[in-house]
Amino acid sequence: MAKQALSLLKSTLLATALAFTVPQAHADKPAVIRVGIAQQGVGDPPTFGGSPAATVQQLQLLEKEFAADGIKVEWVFFKGAGPAVNEAIADKSLDFAFQGDLPSVLGRANGLKTRILLESGVRVGVKFAVPPDSPVQNVKDLKGRRVSIFRGTNLQLVADNVLAANQLDERDLRVINLDSASSLAALSSKGIDASVNDYHLYKLRDQGLARIIYESQTAGPQFTRQSHLLVLDDFDRAHPDIVQRVVNVFVKGAQWSSDEANRDALFGLWAKSGVSYASWQAEFANQSLKSRNSPLIDPFIVARYKAVANDALKLKLIRQPVDVDGWFEPRYLDNALHSLALDRYWTRYDAQGNPLG
Amino acid sequence: MSKAIGEWSPAAGHAVARTAGETKAKVRARSTSNLQRHARALAWHLAPWLLPAALFALWSIGCERGWIAPQILPPPRMVFDTLCDLARSGDLAHHTFVSLQRVLLGFGAGTLAGLLIGAALGLSRTVESYVLPGFNALVQIPVLGWLPFLLLLVGVGEPLKYILIAHAALVPVTLSTMQGFRQTPAALDEVARVFGYGHWQRIAYVVLPAAVPTLATGVRLALTKAWLALVVVELVASSEGLGYLIVYGRQLFQLDLVMASVVIVGAIGFAINRLLDALEARLRRGQPSAFRE
Amino acid sequence: MPSLFSFQAPRRPFRTRLGNPPPCACEAPATPLREGTPGRRARPLLDRFDWRGLVLPLALFALWWLVSALRLVKSGLLVSPADVAHTAWQQIESGALLRALSASLAREASGFVIGTAGGLLLGSALGLSRIAARAIGPTFDTFKQISLFAWIPLISVWFGLGDMAKVVFLSLAALLPVAAHTCDGIHAVPRRYVEVAHALRYSRLQLIRHVILPAALPTIFTGLYLGLIYSWLATLGAEYLLVAGSGIGNTLIDGSEQFRMDLVLFGVIVVGLTGWTLNALARGIERRVMASRGEGRERAAARNGAARRYQAVHQREANT
Repeated sequence: MAKQALSLLKSTLLATALAFTVPQAHADKPAVIRVGIAQQGVGDPPTFGGSPAATVQQLQLLEKEFAADGIKVEWVFFKGAGPAVNEAIADKSLDFAFQGDLPSVLGRANGLKTRILLESGVRVGVKFAVPPDSPVQNVKDLKGRRVSIFRGTNLQLVADNVLAANQLDERDLRVINLDSASSLAALSSKGIDASVNDYHLYKLRDQGLARIIYESQTAGPQFTRQSHLLVLDDFDRAHPDIVQRVVNVFVKGAQWSSDEANRDALFGLWAKSGVSYASWQAEFANQSLKSRNSPLIDPFIVARYKAVANDALKLKLIRQPVDVDGWFEPRYLDNALHSLALDRYWTRYDAQGNPLG
Repeated sequence: MSKAIGEWSPAAGHAVARTAGETKAKVRARSTSNLQRHARALAWHLAPWLLPAALFALWSIGCERGWIAPQILPPPRMVFDTLCDLARSGDLAHHTFVSLQRVLLGFGAGTLAGLLIGAALGLSRTVESYVLPGFNALVQIPVLGWLPFLLLLVGVGEPLKYILIAHAALVPVTLSTMQGFRQTPAALDEVARVFGYGHWQRIAYVVLPAAVPTLATGVRLALTKAWLALVVVELVASSEGLGYLIVYGRQLFQLDLVMASVVIVGAIGFAINRLLDALEARLRRGQPSAFRE
Repeated sequence: MPSLFSFQAPRRPFRTRLGNPPPCACEAPATPLREGTPGRRARPLLDRFDWRGLVLPLALFALWWLVSALRLVKSGLLVSPADVAHTAWQQIESGALLRALSASLAREASGFVIGTAGGLLLGSALGLSRIAARAIGPTFDTFKQISLFAWIPLISVWFGLGDMAKVVFLSLAALLPVAAHTCDGIHAVPRRYVEVAHALRYSRLQLIRHVILPAALPTIFTGLYLGLIYSWLATLGAEYLLVAGSGIGNTLIDGSEQFRMDLVLFGVIVVGLTGWTLNALARGIERRVMASRGEGRERAAARNGAARRYQAVHQREANT
């Protein structure tokens, strides 16, 4: 038995070593398309909400598109969010990824070779919440208190910008790194003084377990965060046709998610991920679906990503500058918009966030 | 032989060998075996460094040749630079101090409590019969099993860490103290009876010294477990400390920071063990060796 | 003048029993290492069981019930025993418990088997070969002292986020104690046994099989216990720190994230019971193997004094 175990161990180690060194086998068609989602999926099978990517996943648009070719679609969820997706990308165990701006910048700074195809969820803010009976009234009062921030996700940079606008620094607080779910639990049990989180906080607020003291999405461009769909360079070079079809599907999903007539249906769909209809209503209260779910890579997006790269360098989150210009790959998006006649559907914004033309 | 031993020379050795009737060839064979012996001694001294050197070489070459992506395994140079950066910026000292403080305080509290409880269990059969079964049942739940329970109870602050570390230390110390107090060799007991020792004299002069080796092993195990518990709890929920550094590095996808922190954690664990080795050797020197093989 | 027979123990007549000298108190073991020495007639269960041990737990349980029934403490965390029982029933009924436990145990089993195999090999090599001990020993020793969980982030990056990383980690957790104890056990074999074997001109294989292995077996078993315990601990830790799947550790963490104390308490009880079962299983197997080789642990231990003290202490370690 020891011999068998030894040979199992040997083959395991060999397989691991090979996985690192041998590039992906090139086939005409991949057997499966692996899409990584930088969120902890809820439910069995897991699902999520809040962006056009979620719409695509829930409506199974990708599966339908590739069913005829016999290509399966695998959605991989990560409890560790953006940072964990980076690890999977480095491992080459994904083909596409839905990820936030900061984690992708961190990945690119460390040499991951990816291309941003389209945006999926822009102009999203962060929320600061405290326990209901807390003496903290605004962000300035958080000095010296225990705050949970999910490090390495796009929450972090916006949180840092909010703190800077209040003349604070991360060092003035006691920051604990907790993922979304742990942070909510810690807030409910009053284990922390404040939590920086997203739309999940509305549920706690409705249950009376938390009080939101600040929401950042309307305060200015540097207080918003974006998420995108990216593709690994290797997959892009091997199967550009598949990439184009995937982008087409995502643009269709974005279009469905931007139609105000679908607002009800959209929130109902996303509610399947465990975040209630009421929470989605509150989340999108002051923003139109079009502005949030636009897939365009316009000057605003480019400026935001450059700012994220600069801020990350300033905060020493990355050690060398990241070049954003060569990172976007808009031709798939342009092709898709053209072929679906959606060139004028979404508004383009300039670097300051004002509508263009 | 007119030469004194101190003035022995190879030539004289040859002369002696020849006079003793050995052939030239045999003499040559004997002196080359001297060289062999020196080479073997050198190899013996260097052998422990062979494996680490080979691994290090593999690591460096692997990174240089790009066998493994640098995000996954950063080159040694980068890890070293990160270590220096950490040391220079004072972060290393700060986080190490926080971790050490947590582990020492938790370990101290747990050991003290463990010694008291173990002594009570060991010395009194009544206490043992009331407390031990319940204690044994609680012991079946490993330290990590308590983590979510304590997370809910006390939240993610300092008390969580201290309670967990103290618990990790308390269990082995209690059990080995109890065992040490129970396993006084009967012969020593008989001698104490012959000398007419009272109850407390017996405990102080017979039971306690005989229990020291077992106690020492228990304390040693407790420190290892306390260090283990510290690393886990800092990985799960902490705002400072070495485990926090590891998490920070991982979240920011800076594997060199993670490796540097792992090196520090390993170094401290190593230092702790060496310290305990020395302490134990010190203690054992005063032990009577009659009952040890 | 002292009589020639004044060295006898008092109150015992000097009467030989077919050549056996009268028993002396100094030959009795200090305390039996465990109850039920072979040969003793088993007393009836009621007689043997010490009811005093139940007093404290029952008292605490009653206190808990009282506090939760009277709602003396205002906190969402205070769940009554009935809640925990209800959750337990729910989990068992829905099959969630079976899924979680089987996933955890399957992972632990594979990790334990791989780790033990590797550990036995490594330990034997270190124990039997002086060269290997000198070349690999110090590195292994240093490696052993690095806190196990510090490896998790690196392992998860190197081996991906699936089950492989978990199994690698569990194998490591089992390998370290097994290798260490196997090596120590082989080293602790008294020299005189080996000398006798040399005098009898045993071949190397015979030496290992008939002399070293039996003498080292108790220590090796202790190493296996520890491997089992550590890999169970590592299973839990891996489920907290490495990305999900299902498992009993995940149930625990989900409970604490969803702020459900009843689920957490249920998970804690399951973890404790599983740990105890694994321990009892291992001890049962060991007893079977040692009995089949015809020696009680006490007799083997008496022959091997230092090894006995060593393994007795580590027996306790295995219980912690």
